[in-house]
Parts: sequence; C-alpha cells; structure tokens
Amino acid sequence: MAEVEYSTTAKLPVETIWDFVCEIDNWAAYMTGYQSHEKENADDSVWVLKGDVGAMTRTLKFRVHVTEWAGPERVTFELEGLNEQMSGDGEFVMQSYEDESAEATAATTRKGWLQRAIEAVVRFFFRLFRGRVERAASADAGPGEGMARLRFRLEMRPGGPMGPMINAMIKPAMTVAAEDLANRIVGHLETERPGSA
Amino acid sequence: MGGTPERWDLEVDVVAVGSGLGSITAALVAHDRGQQVVVLEKAPRLGGLCGYGGGEVFCPNGPHMQDIGQADSDDAARQYFAFLGAGFNEPELTEKMVATYKEAIEYTEKEAGVAWEAVEGLDDYYYPDAPGSNTGRYLAVQLFDGATLGEWQQKTWPVSPHFPPAATHKEMYAWGGLANVTKWDYELLGQRIAADQRSFGPGMMGWFVKAAMVDRGIPAHVETPVRALVTDDDGRVVGVRAEKDGNDFFVRARKGVILGIGGYDHNKPMATMYEEVHDWNSATQPYLHGDHLLMGGEIGADIASVPPTNLAMFYGYNIPGEEHDGVPLWRSSWECGCPHAIWVNGQGERFCDESFYKDYQPRIREWNGKTQQQENLDVFLIFDGNYRERYPLGSFMPGMEIPEELAVKADTPRELAEKLGIDPTRLEATLERFNAGAAKGEDPDFDAGHFSWSNRLAGDPSYPNPNVGVVEKAPFYGVKLAPVGVGINSHGLRTNTSGQVMHVRGHAIPGLYAVGMSAAILDLGGGYQSGTSNMRAITWGYITGRHVSES
Ligand SMILES: Cc1cc2nc3c(=O)[nH]c(=O)nc-3n(C[C@H](O)[C@H](O)[C@H](O)COP(=O)(O)OP(=O)(O)OC[C@H]3O[C@@H](n4cnc5c(N)ncnc54)[C@H](O)[C@@H]3O)c2cc1C
Repeated sequence: MAEVEYSTTAKLPVETIWDFVCEIDNWAAYMTGYQSHEKENADDSVWVLKGDVGAMTRTLKFRVHVTEWAGPERVTFELEGLNEQMSGDGEFVMQSYEDESAEATAATTRKGWLQRAIEAVVRFFFRLFRGRVERAASADAGPGEGMARLRFRLEMRPGGPMGPMINAMIKPAMTVAAEDLANRIVGHLETERPGSA
Repeated sequence: MGGTPERWDLEVDVVAVGSGLGSITAALVAHDRGQQVVVLEKAPRLGGLCGYGGGEVFCPNGPHMQDIGQADSDDAARQYFAFLGAGFNEPELTEKMVATYKEAIEYTEKEAGVAWEAVEGLDDYYYPDAPGSNTGRYLAVQLFDGATLGEWQQKTWPVSPHFPPAATHKEMYAWGGLANVTKWDYELLGQRIAADQRSFGPGMMGWFVKAAMVDRGIPAHVETPVRALVTDDDGRVVGVRAEKDGNDFFVRARKGVILGIGGYDHNKPMATMYEEVHDWNSATQPYLHGDHLLMGGEIGADIASVPPTNLAMFYGYNIPGEEHDGVPLWRSSWECGCPHAIWVNGQGERFCDESFYKDYQPRIREWNGKTQQQENLDVFLIFDGNYRERYPLGSFMPGMEIPEELAVKADTPRELAEKLGIDPTRLEATLERFNAGAAKGEDPDFDAGHFSWSNRLAGDPSYPNPNVGVVEKAPFYGVKLAPVGVGINSHGLRTNTSGQVMHVRGHAIPGLYAVGMSAAILDLGGGYQSGTSNMRAITWGYITGRHVSES
C-alpha cells in the first residue's frame, strides 16, 4: 500500500472549491500525467494517466467510482486498475480554515530529506516532459479570515506478487501528483478570482 | 573542429566526454595521477548505459574467483578470448586488453573502493564447449547506498527498467531466476528501493560516480553535450566545443580529450546501415547518437568494424504506453528462453535455438540468395496456456490480461496463425514437430537448452530441459518482435594499444582517445560474451587515463 496526503490553503470560500471539485471535467487535466478521461455516469469515470514507475513511464487506465458526494466538504472515491493489478481509494476534503483549531495534516512536513530529494527529481522530470507550470508546492498561507483548506488523500494498493516492490516505486510520483493536483486546483481558482489570494 | 576559440570557458588537463565506465575510469586514473579533469555528459544524469544495464563484468581468473572456490588461469582466458575473436580481432589490442584488465579492475577496487564480488555459478556463454571456457568469471557489485552520492543521488539512475531493482545476482538465481519472477521476495526489494539501495548497473555506476565525483570531487556537467573537437594548426586535439544552456561552452584540454560516449543506438539511419538490419530499436536511454563517429570523422579519424552478426543484438517489443526519458521503452525478449515458448519466422517455421541469442542473431539475418530475401526477419514469439500460467510477459504477470496491441490470442494454432498473417498449416506442422521432442525435454532441430548459460539466465530450473516445454495448451499467443539494440555496436573509432584514436592516414591523432563502445571492438573481434563490454570499458579507461597523464 502506498498512501500520500497533501493539503494546501487558499483565501477562497469552501463552496467555491466544492463547486469546482465536484465537476470532474474542471480539474481532470490537472492530474499529473493526464491523458484522457471519460464519464460513464454521475459516479463512474474511466481515466488514462501516464505515471512513473521506477525508471519508466507507464500508461495506466483505471475506473474511478465516487462513493460519497458530501458537499461542500468531501468527495470520496475508489479506484480499480483496468490494465494494471491495482486498486485504491482517496478523498478531497474542503474545510474552512479560519483558525488553528481546524483539523489540518500536511504530510509534507513529516518527510525525510531522501523522500524530498526523490520527489524533487520526479517533479523535475514531470515538468521537463510535460512542460507544465503550477503554483509553488509550498503555498500554505496558514489560517486566517476567509481561508479554506483543501486536502487530497490517495492510497494505491498494487496487487500481484510484485505489489510491495511497485509500491516503493510509485510512491514518489504519487506524492508529486497529489501536491500538484491540490496546488493546481487552488492556483486555478485564485487566478479566476483575482486578489483573493 | 579547427581553429581555437578566442576564449576558453574552462581550462583543464583532461576532458572526459560521457559518464559511462570508460570515461569515469579514465577520469579517476588521470585525477589520481595529478591531472585536472572534467566530465561532460549529454544526459541529465551520470552513469551512461553502464548505469542502466546488468552491471556484469567479465573477468577471467579475476580477483574474486577464489572466494567462490573457482580455479582459473590466464592461459585459459587467452584461449577463450581467441575463440571469441574468431580471427576478426586485432591480436595486439586483444593482448593489451587481456594483459591489463585484472590490473584495471583491481585498481577500481583498491583505489576507488568499488565493492566487487564474484557471481557464483554463472557460466561463460560457450561453456563447456569452447577452449578455455569456465564458470564463475563474472563480477558484479555489492549493493550500493544511493544516499552516499550527495548531490549526485538525484542525477544518477537509481534503477533500470531492464533489471529487477535492488536484487543481487545471487538472490536472482537463488529465487529461481527470471522464469520464476513471480516467486521473488518483493517485500525485501520494496524496502531496499525505499532506502535507495542499488544493484546491477545502477549499483555499479553508483560506486564509480561516488569515487569520482564525491570522494575525489571531480567536476561533472550534465546536459552538456560535446558537439565538436577543437584542433590546433598541427591537427592536435586541444579541446572541445560543448553546448551548455543552449550556448557554446569551450573547454580546453591541455593533455587530451577522451571520448567515452557509447555507440549509436539512437541514430536509426546509422544503426540500420552499420548493423545491417531493416529496422532498429533500442533498450538504451535516448542519448547515444554516434557523435564520436561524426566528431572523429570531421578530423580524419578512422572508423573500424567487426561483423555485426556476431555481436549482441536482441529481438523484443514495446509495451504500448511504456516509455523512458520521453521515448518508447523497448525490452529485449527473454520469454523465448522459457519453456512453452518458441519463435517462428513469417513462414511459420522455427529457425534457431531461441534460448541462446548468439545463435538466433546471425540466423535472423540469413540471406537466401535464390529468393533475394532475409526469410527470418519477421519474428513471432509463440507461447501457450502452460506458459501463461507460469511466466510473465514483460510486466504482465500470470493472471493478467495482455493487451491485444501487444499479444494476439487465439484458441487454436491455426486461428493464431491466421490472425498473425502466417501460414496456418506450416505453424501447425512446426508445433507438432517441436512438441514431439519437447515432450522429452529435447530439441533435435536446434538443440535449445544446450548451453548452461541459457539454462541459468532465462530457463526454468524445475524442468528437465530448463529452456524447452511443449506448446500445446490453449489459449495460444503470438507477439510480433522487432530488432532491439543494447548499445553494443559493430562500428567505432579505430584505436591503438594506448587507446589513442587513429587517423585514416595511419598515425595516432595527438590528444584524442576513445574508450568503451566509442572505440571499435577490435579487441574482442568476432564475438561477444556478456560482461566484456563493461570489462573493456574499464580496461581502456584505465589505459588511456594513464597514457594521457604521461603525455
Ligand atoms: C539492458 C542492458 C544490459 C546490459 N548489461 C550489460 C552487462 O551486464 N555487462 C556488460 O558488459 N554490458 C552490458 N550492457 C552493454 C553495456 O552497458 C554498454 O555496452 C556499455 O554501457 C558501454 O559503456 P561506455 O563506457 O561505452 O559508455 P555508456 O555507458 O554507453 O555511456 C556513454 C555516455 O556518453 C553520453 N554521451 C553521448 N553522446 C555524448 C556527447 N556528444 N557529449 C557528452 N556525452 C555524450 C551518454 O549520454 C552516456 O551517458 C548492457 C546493455 C543493456 C541495454
């Protein structure tokens, strides 16, 4: 099992983030390695992403099923690999973040230097080959009036005998993907609402 | 080429171009002999193809054979290299290599701290048939701790897509070899990957880069391809014109320039012409373009060759969607060494011992003078339900669905042949004939499984003949294969016994050396044996590092 979690803050109403997040088409292309997605119905969609597995990049196809639309606070989902032995789940959580008491976990602060170093390389290569620009990964302004927090959590469970090895290989890329997605969503909304950041 | 620049951006004694074993060894030795050295590398990481390969180094009668209780002799080594050369080698170059490789490898161990160990039980390709052949002659490195590389940790290859990350040779064989990858200890490998423990080529180049860049502080510039050699009025190479951040970067070399920039796997026109094939793909990272032949050619360097049919070229496939460094990732196909799999040509006929690439390589190019055709060029890997229950196809483990774009699937051999566009009746006849022998673990037509090297590397040790098993159980699968290079090329710059590049007029070009695959493999001549590529890169790196320091 490889689990990553990333949270970031924005001077935006929670509802604004929710309105954006609950429509997949709005942010699908912000997924790192995004190739395509197709909605099958309100809860199910099929995604194609390119992801780094060790020294190579693989094209991953999987079905995402939303298990809970709990607006404006939470979307939870499950996923199932269609061309890889992989399953997983995750969630977006949006909270008002007016003071410190709001629950907040930013996994980035607990990382060792090796983990950060590997992620820096992964991020470098993603940008090199995909040519994307996004908001600084450390954009976390802390609590304050009108502030909200967006948290993204993703857990992947590679199956088959090689599962434990694939786990170790995908984790750096997943961490980058989680950070980039959260930051791109917030970055997009901040640009849409100038002066809000 | 020609004319020195008005201003040098950097001045050193020795410029080592490329960062594979050849260049890094030369850089280490020159540095230890008091020279100021710089390494210029085209790729975004150091280590070259050497840092992406198997990391086996062929070292007969080498320093660690006694650790595994294996006797050997220099005489036997000479006999074996003569057998490999088959008259296509240049005897002085072979002798210089054979007389130096142990000293060179010992230097990397004693002076540079590279932790070699012997690979027990892996035989020479032609053991026991060839004169002087033996077992236990390969070296590989002990696990390398990536964290000791400091800033270079991120700028080297931690794993290769071609080898199980973080496993050692010993473990690979103890766990049942490539045919039994489903049974390996992936918990252990996962822990090692998370701790950046490196093995195979990435581990080997970890040790070398640490010795050069970290322990000795030799400066290296990545993403700095060398574009041309700079010569003075007398034709001496006095520096290079590289490219850095899109600008010219002139580096003066007071003593010499060493080209260790590999071969030309990613220059398709060059590769198809020199390797005499209609198509060419490569398992290597996309930085090997044959620049040495271009830059050397510009100043009159001589290009030499050995017969391409005798070298290492594989057949393989690209799994749709798999890439590395922005280009399709080509894998060589080891599946043909497993039981329950064969190769057939476009006519539906077998034509080789599929488990021994040295046998299939020349047969693929066989020319029928009566039909004006290379009849074996179209190669199909055929396997059955028995195979699929036991072994993977690339990353597709047993039980996983293989995409149609990669493998065609059918209920009968006839249907499979029709789908693949090969003669159904001949494929049925081929399978019937093969299965009659395979049921007894035999292959009377091509003697698959003859060599213990093939048994060990790709075969399933639980079978009487590890490389042979019947192909008879539905469903049947077919994969169209294509030529896949592994960076070992037939053409290179002609060099002398000091590693200096020779001019077409027959003299050594002052100030210019070539090592590794950039130097034509006239030392090996007409044959290949795995581990010799790395061995000769270290050896000629050592020789040139000393020579340039004394010049
Ligand atoms: C999957 C695989 C497994 C292998 N396993 C083995 C094995 O176990 N044992 C063995 O002996 N051989 C093995 N080989 C072959 C072996 O790795 C190569 O032959 C070997 O790497 C050649 O080393 P080299 O010193 O010539 O340089 P390389 O390792 O090829 O390095 C050359 C470097 O030069 C750089 N470069 C290219 N052009 C320029 C330029 N213009 N300016 C600056 N830099 C440049 C490249 O980016 C590269 O980093 C394997 C190959 C493959 C593909």
